[in-house]
Amino acid sequence: MNVSYLELLKLAAPETIVVLTALAALVVDLTSTRDLEARFRFIINGMIACAGCVAAIVWMLVMPAHANALEGMFVVDPLTQVVKIALLGLTLFTVLISMDSTFTEHIGEYLALILLAAVGMMFLVSAEDILMIFISLELTSLSLYILAAFNKRDVNSAEAALKYFLFGGMAAAFTLFGLSLLYGLSGATNLGQIAAALEDKGLDPLLIVAMVMIVLGFGFKVAAVPFHLWAPDAYQGAPTPSAAFIASGSKVASFFIFAKVMMIGFTGGETNGVHEIAGSAAWQQFVSGWTPVVAVVAVLSMLLGNLVAIVQSSVKRLIAYSAIAHAGYMLIGVMAHSGEAVASLVYYAVTYGLTTIGAFGVVAVVEARSKDDQLASFAGLSRRAPVVSLCMMIFMLSLAGIPPLAGFFGKFYVFAAALKTGAPNLGLLWLVILAIAMSAVSFYYYLQVLKQIYVADMPAGAEELRVPVLGQVVLGLIAVGVILLGCAPNLLVGVLQASIKAAGL
Amino acid sequence: MKVEALTWLVLFLPLLAAGIITLFTLRNKAVSATLSIGAIVTGFVLTLAVIKFGGWDARELSVNWLSIGSLNVDFGLKLDALSLMMLLIVTGVGSAIHIYSYGYMRDDPGFSRFFACMSLFTFSMLGIVLANNFLQMFIFWELVGVSSYLLIGFWFEKPSAADAAKKAFITNRLGDLGFILGILIIFTALGSLNFTVLESGNSIAALGGMATLGGLLVFCGAIGKSAQFPLHVWLPDAMEGPTPVSALIHAATMVAAGVYMLCRVFFIFTPDALTVISWIGGITALLAALIAVQQNDIKRILAYSTLSQLGYMVMGVGLTAPEAGMFHLTTHAFFKALLFLGAGSVIIALHHEQDIWKMGGLRKKMPVTFWTFMVGTLALAGVWPLSGFFSKDAILAAAHENNLLLFILGVAVAALTTFYMFRLVFVAFLGDRRTGVAPVSDSKEAAQAGDESMRQARRLSYEPHESPGVVIWPLRILAVASVVGGVIGIEALFGGMFKPDAAHPHGLLAQLVYPFQHAPVAALSGLAAFAVGLFAAWKLYANAKTDPLPDKLGALSRAMANRFYFDEIYEATVIRIHDAIAAIADWIDRWIIEGFCIGLVRGGTDLTGRALRLVQTGNLQTYAFLFVLGVAVVLWFVLGK
Repeated sequence: MNVSYLELLKLAAPETIVVLTALAALVVDLTSTRDLEARFRFIINGMIACAGCVAAIVWMLVMPAHANALEGMFVVDPLTQVVKIALLGLTLFTVLISMDSTFTEHIGEYLALILLAAVGMMFLVSAEDILMIFISLELTSLSLYILAAFNKRDVNSAEAALKYFLFGGMAAAFTLFGLSLLYGLSGATNLGQIAAALEDKGLDPLLIVAMVMIVLGFGFKVAAVPFHLWAPDAYQGAPTPSAAFIASGSKVASFFIFAKVMMIGFTGGETNGVHEIAGSAAWQQFVSGWTPVVAVVAVLSMLLGNLVAIVQSSVKRLIAYSAIAHAGYMLIGVMAHSGEAVASLVYYAVTYGLTTIGAFGVVAVVEARSKDDQLASFAGLSRRAPVVSLCMMIFMLSLAGIPPLAGFFGKFYVFAAALKTGAPNLGLLWLVILAIAMSAVSFYYYLQVLKQIYVADMPAGAEELRVPVLGQVVLGLIAVGVILLGCAPNLLVGVLQASIKAAGL
Repeated sequence: MKVEALTWLVLFLPLLAAGIITLFTLRNKAVSATLSIGAIVTGFVLTLAVIKFGGWDARELSVNWLSIGSLNVDFGLKLDALSLMMLLIVTGVGSAIHIYSYGYMRDDPGFSRFFACMSLFTFSMLGIVLANNFLQMFIFWELVGVSSYLLIGFWFEKPSAADAAKKAFITNRLGDLGFILGILIIFTALGSLNFTVLESGNSIAALGGMATLGGLLVFCGAIGKSAQFPLHVWLPDAMEGPTPVSALIHAATMVAAGVYMLCRVFFIFTPDALTVISWIGGITALLAALIAVQQNDIKRILAYSTLSQLGYMVMGVGLTAPEAGMFHLTTHAFFKALLFLGAGSVIIALHHEQDIWKMGGLRKKMPVTFWTFMVGTLALAGVWPLSGFFSKDAILAAAHENNLLLFILGVAVAALTTFYMFRLVFVAFLGDRRTGVAPVSDSKEAAQAGDESMRQARRLSYEPHESPGVVIWPLRILAVASVVGGVIGIEALFGGMFKPDAAHPHGLLAQLVYPFQHAPVAALSGLAAFAVGLFAAWKLYANAKTDPLPDKLGALSRAMANRFYFDEIYEATVIRIHDAIAAIADWIDRWIIEGFCIGLVRGGTDLTGRALRLVQTGNLQTYAFLFVLGVAVVLWFVLGK
């Protein structure tokens, strides 16, 4: 195998840029800014991190590439580019909302870890080989474990990270088990080759076990029931920006690779790069193999996430349960397994990630002033911080799925894609109906937050919350993004559909 | 970049102004007004530029906004003679009204809010005008509904204003229901919403048996928005809003939207549908003119006059003469905005007195207002060579050609129009002054005791005087437009678009004499109607102290004064039935749905939530156990089958 390393480096330039930025942030913080006040250190190093993300985004926009290096180890096509740009965007916002934090003095390390996690996600998106997938997953996960533990002074943060880590370790073990079974069955690590090798084998029990194990691993990453148990504790205990990153970037990357594995690895009849989705009998077998698994997980997630969110009193836990419910909705998109469904899934995941970062950003603002994230701390927020409250309203309504915000169109596209896939016999109709019913339930707890903000009386003696201008601008930008992606969904969906066509999915 | 792209700016500048005012400048009156006025004046200038450099040819700009399977919805701008002219009216007349508002609303505490609403309204209206497909038009259609609700209810602390706003909104919604149903029928049958596609696709044939129904349902939207019989009841009440709003919404723009929409989608109407449309228009014109004869509130007279003129326009469209309807819409926008603004000028001068019987003799005190008002009246009455004559004549000529009954009705309405307008002029502007002099020992006046006498006393203590420049300059500009509007080629412009084959007059002289050559009967009947109306008004109202008509007409006069009891009839039937349904629904909601179903579901959900929460123990061993259990269950589920 001849590898031109220069070519490879050029293909992986965005990842390289982000890695170098991570190192730069570390070095600058260690050498030059250590003695400054924490706020300035955050601003200087945060700006470095942002500059790195922007540079990588610009690189991808300016140098579109389409290549498959090392037999699926590293695949670059328009679709992965779009997803990577979205991931970097989410990373950028995560960095921006952490600027105001005070939970750590290890600012360089903190930013470097965020960037390394982002690199892991970017490699994950590009991987079409189970080894590479596993390694990228681990890079992402390890960085996120540490990010969750970053508030050393807070015992909750340590507990959250430990739970996240142990649980993640267990899930990784299961995933690895599933992947090795898959390798044993097919003798290949490349997704396309696996599919080709499995084509004639039919659906034997061992393959089912492999599928279940893999679904489980991803189920852990996206916090789907019954592999969700870590999520509420981790979201609540972790520093808020870390939780935001776990809930957004990690989710986008995981869902993307989940859909990719399910669609490429288990399609059958696939010849390197060109996919014959419908019409193949073998594919039908596999679909009947993995869709029930995903369906069970999706149903459980929607039910449990929405129902338990209702009784939460901590806003971060509430968002965590709502994240579980959203994972359920997104799994419907995975099940729809068509090009359109992938477009809708990525749109959903990206807009959801954006909205969640915004929501966590607002929680961070409130938490910094009132020392906890209880619903009661949000009482009368609209009079104490009107701009932030307005942003929170937009985020909550978008999560609930009110048009014309992004959340509505995300749900709409996913459900529409699901209905279209099962069109002849409306196979997924019951799932969609359940999802819509559960969205109605979700209004209750989203509005509960807004009720506290806009209707409830201010606690006696509460003063105006002074929110830094930068924080307001960032939250405002996210809110504008949510409105814009909702008012003109074709901005993103159009690009996604075009790139899916170009990528041949 | 092509010059057409400027139209995007025309559309979005008012929205930007509304947004900035709402978010940032509510406390700064001057900046708010500058933003709002600046947005619309810039829009006017840009529209002129687009026309100057791009011409009147039809063209379209669009971006794909939403695509769901086979449904592709564009967000686009359709530019042609129709929309460009309408754009000029909305931004041009709108500019005059915005500037006038700066003077009129000066002391109002909600000044900035007012301008934010005005800009929002302008944005919505421009959206209707520029829409290139039904869905976009419907969205802006509803936005116009919302912003007019905000403007009519601007003084929401007054219960009558709040009620009027609600009434306008709800009545409009009734029509809109028909509109959206019509749109759905068209989309189901034809698979597109784009006007250009629909027009080129011979839509009537494609719709088949549904064509008439679909067309009439779409027309329902116009009935609501343009206040046609039987949904006309909201417009007079909407006069509760500030006078500039009445001028903007209820003269030049919003109510014209219905007529504009009919012209925009003229190609979907079957002959049967057009007959219905023309009769609805005719009936509205007649009813409203009759009611206007016996109103005493200056703004209400103008409101009913608007209704009546809208009836004319709709009738024109129904008589297969959309170019005549649009022509009348254009000239009407000029002179009716002028009349409303003139009425506003009078109203401020008299400290918010609106009863014409308490005015009188204003000609000498307010010369500019009087003369411009006079121009508006003559234009509305259809005096050659003012603009109203030409446009009204175009409609009468179309009626003469197609439907003799409607022609007679149209001439009768023309006579009534002259009559009620000159009644207004004679009573309010000429004759003796009835305020500011010794209290009138009139039985009607004497009856008003108590706090009314306080107001009376205050009103007596000042001299009415001419309004400031910011108020009267818009009047002068609009007066000029009302004079020349008929002979500047508007007719040929619309005619060239709708009936490219027919001959249209060009050149000033040709336009001046065109009506007499083209349809002499209609032109002469129109002038005769003016003479009759003027004579009757002079006979009855020159120097009248009280209204002599009630004694002469008895019950008919009372019916006219009470608006033919439409509100009462609706109150007794529709609203009563609605209240009954509401009461039943309320009972079901309260006891069956809320009490039983919701109670059960809520309790169940809550309980489940609490139960499931117990699973989240925080104990890692439990989690690991549940995790493995989950794996086992899923495996069993998949393998066990």
